[in-house]
Amino acid sequence: MTLFDPGLQPERTELAWRRTALALGAGSLVALRLLPVAFGHPAWAFGGLAGLMLAAMLWISSRRRYRGVNLVLTSDGDRGMLPGASMIAILAVIAFAIGLVSLAVVIVTALRSV
Amino acid sequence: MSGRGRFPASVYGQGTEPDARFTLANERTFLAWIRTALALLAGGVALELLGLELHPGLRLAASLVLVIAGILTPVLAWFGWGRAERAMRLAQPLPSSPLGAVLGVAVSLAGVLLLLAILLR
Repeated sequence: MTLFDPGLQPERTELAWRRTALALGAGSLVALRLLPVAFGHPAWAFGGLAGLMLAAMLWISSRRRYRGVNLVLTSDGDRGMLPGASMIAILAVIAFAIGLVSLAVVIVTALRSV
Repeated sequence: MSGRGRFPASVYGQGTEPDARFTLANERTFLAWIRTALALLAGGVALELLGLELHPGLRLAASLVLVIAGILTPVLAWFGWGRAERAMRLAQPLPSSPLGAVLGVAVSLAGVLLLLAILLR
């Protein structure tokens, strides 16, 4: 695979996507471990499992995105048309949804201990 | 290369391609904010879920501050990404972002609440 940028920006960007997938994966493992126990029902494993699945999908799409970026840049130069922001938007939605679930978990936990 | 309508049109519909390195840097910045959001959420949830021996009201308040910040961050990060990308396409100065202030205030406030939760346990 041809190297486009001596500063390795496409490579660093792929690593950033992977770091994000890992952060999501680690959080999902913790959720998988804690939530079913805290709420006393195995159905609560769903959240952690869904998170792990999303993390895996994010990891895989990091490599695909990198290949696309590298292809564009090595053929069209540094003003080539990079992929659009669908993955970015999807990730923002996922993070927002995780936020809403987290808020629900906090409120339910607080109410149960009253 | 035409006819490739990239999402979102509000960003890609105007201006010209900036140097790819700037676009990639913008992307990495967004990803860093997402990781920050996940860390805020993890902290906020852990605070409540682990049932630490702290003043319950203040502990909940700290937890909510972190979680709400974690909810706002991806939204602001998305709009920040879009505004930065558009500014680069139009060769305009980069916009400022409220994200830094939100993060700073949230973490400091949560810290103060936690300190009180420890002292008033």
